[in-house]
Amino acid sequence: MSDMPRGTATLSPFSGWRHSLAQNMSFLLSFVILAGLTLLYIGLFHGQLNAYPGTFEWTSVVNTAVPTVLVAVGQTIVVITRGIDLSVGGVIDVSNALAATHMKDSLASMVGWSLAILALGAVFGAINGILVAYGRLQPILVTLATLAILQGLAIWILPEPGGLIPPSYSNTLASTQGPWSLCFLALVAVAWLVLRRMTIGVRIFAIGNDESAARAHGIPVRRVKVIAFALSGLLAAASGLFLAASTTGGDAAAGDVYILTSIAAVVLGGISFYGGRGSALGSIAGAFVLTILTNVLFFAGINPLYQSFFQGVFLVIAVFLGVILGRLVKAST
Amino acid sequence: MSVGSSTGFGTRARDLLTVDRRRILVTFGAAILVFLVGAFLHPGFASAASIKAILVIASFVGLVAAGQTFVLLVGGIDLSIPWVLNAAGVLFATASLGRDSRAAYALLLALGLGALVGLVNGLCISYLAVPAVVMTLAMNGIMEGLTLGRTQGLTCETCRSYAPPALQSAIHAQLAGIPVQLILWFGVILAVTFILSFTTFGRKIYSTGSNAVASYLAGVNVRAVTVILYMLSGFFAALAGIVLVAYSGQATLGLGDPFLFQSIAAAVIGGVAILGGRGHYLGAVAGAISLIALISLLQAENMPDYGRSILYGVAILVVLLLFGREERT
Repeated sequence: MSDMPRGTATLSPFSGWRHSLAQNMSFLLSFVILAGLTLLYIGLFHGQLNAYPGTFEWTSVVNTAVPTVLVAVGQTIVVITRGIDLSVGGVIDVSNALAATHMKDSLASMVGWSLAILALGAVFGAINGILVAYGRLQPILVTLATLAILQGLAIWILPEPGGLIPPSYSNTLASTQGPWSLCFLALVAVAWLVLRRMTIGVRIFAIGNDESAARAHGIPVRRVKVIAFALSGLLAAASGLFLAASTTGGDAAAGDVYILTSIAAVVLGGISFYGGRGSALGSIAGAFVLTILTNVLFFAGINPLYQSFFQGVFLVIAVFLGVILGRLVKAST
Repeated sequence: MSVGSSTGFGTRARDLLTVDRRRILVTFGAAILVFLVGAFLHPGFASAASIKAILVIASFVGLVAAGQTFVLLVGGIDLSIPWVLNAAGVLFATASLGRDSRAAYALLLALGLGALVGLVNGLCISYLAVPAVVMTLAMNGIMEGLTLGRTQGLTCETCRSYAPPALQSAIHAQLAGIPVQLILWFGVILAVTFILSFTTFGRKIYSTGSNAVASYLAGVNVRAVTVILYMLSGFFAALAGIVLVAYSGQATLGLGDPFLFQSIAAAVIGGVAILGGRGHYLGAVAGAISLIALISLLQAENMPDYGRSILYGVAILVVLLLFGREERT
């Protein structure tokens, strides 16, 4: 638990573990929910099939969760600066479409296109950031507009679902033999922990907490915002690549669903929409919660048509619990 | 525009008003410009029939934008509109069973559903401190799941019901050459303008949006105002859903999808500040007309879908860069 979203215990009138518990309530809650849901999934699976989920099931869970995790971590960074990035869906669309139409079955092509697509994602993100920071525009409006532009671009690149991802690319990134893609998650988690401690990480949190105070302390607010959006674009592009690998084909509308799931994962991960607090580790847990929830609903025999109903109810309850528990702990100090 | 020429939106600070009003006039000007360009490119684009048709399409966005404007004015946002609209449309058709005798009952039921959903949104946002983005996003999913689940994906027995024929013909009728749908919209414009500009409730909306804490200290029941506004947003989404079903005859799934982004875009183009406290429904009306006129023009140009999507995004960005920039801090 070294990555407390905010270690402000020493600055606060409340001190000690109670305060830090209250501060991190929704973050901790995301892991409690994840553990509970996982147990429920195992239980339901056992009840239905009289066996425990094996390598195949866990691999499928991990491979389904990875695109959500990647995009949710990017969304987290932007939300911590008190922004929101709706264009991630469009970036995934474009990356997915580009990979499906251009990638050839050679090492040079696969590596080259992967790097090019990641760079393109970062550029798209940086454009969002420039419009927000230097154009002095609201993030939700800017990314709404760039979302429409990117969706159009994606359909222009790949008018109909199709294309082909080289099998070796799929097997490397999204192997179905085992949950090897967990390596990418570990990589992202470590990268987050490093980023969090770098100057840029501290600055991202500072802006989210109090932008004018951050500016007064000489933090280059605009540049930091551009970097935050660029990271979000980069991670969304990575998500699009992984999605292309695991579905072995392209779809110019594949990313649209990730706009809302990335926000839902961020919410479940306990990241505050008022900026300045939260940990990407929480969003990773949140992304897994959403994935496992789908499986739980399936094994609980719930009509798939009701799926979004339960997801919505679940989201509200999780947020509500975070607020209430945080208040209770605070009140008891 | 001088202060003296104003026709009286109320007694707010006059100098502030002129800036906001100029913005509304500019947006109406933009709509006229689109029609002029359209008339130049396509003779007949600005004919009476064509303008009427475009205004009718804009009126659907305009109805939804009324609710969205209300919540934006207090710094909120309603992302639950697509499926509240869709659920109300489906409920209206299925409850009426296509019979005129059940039309009033179905109408009240569907409008009540919209207001009820808005009530839940508002209560959770203002009393349980759930962020508006999260709450309304979750509510959109809840309504989607309920609509799909309850109707078995719109395959149920009553799902094939048409809207009551009396309402269908009423919405397609014309009074003195003006489509009834436009008269309905005009009524809504008058009512919303009256609320915003000539009532104490309107004053409370603007004060809550400008500074919620100060308004609370001044005795405004900020929470109650917020709840009512979300109810209004649900109500108008439901109204748009009913009108759409009456207009097209039958309910479909995904009916509400385009209206989320279009309602926000219309309000923002018309000068409604997304952080609250500034803007007017008249601006959103002008925004809806210019937006739909632009989309219709692009359609008339045989612009492919993807090109329209790109231009739509670019147009919003241009408008934002021209008008939507925050003060330098």
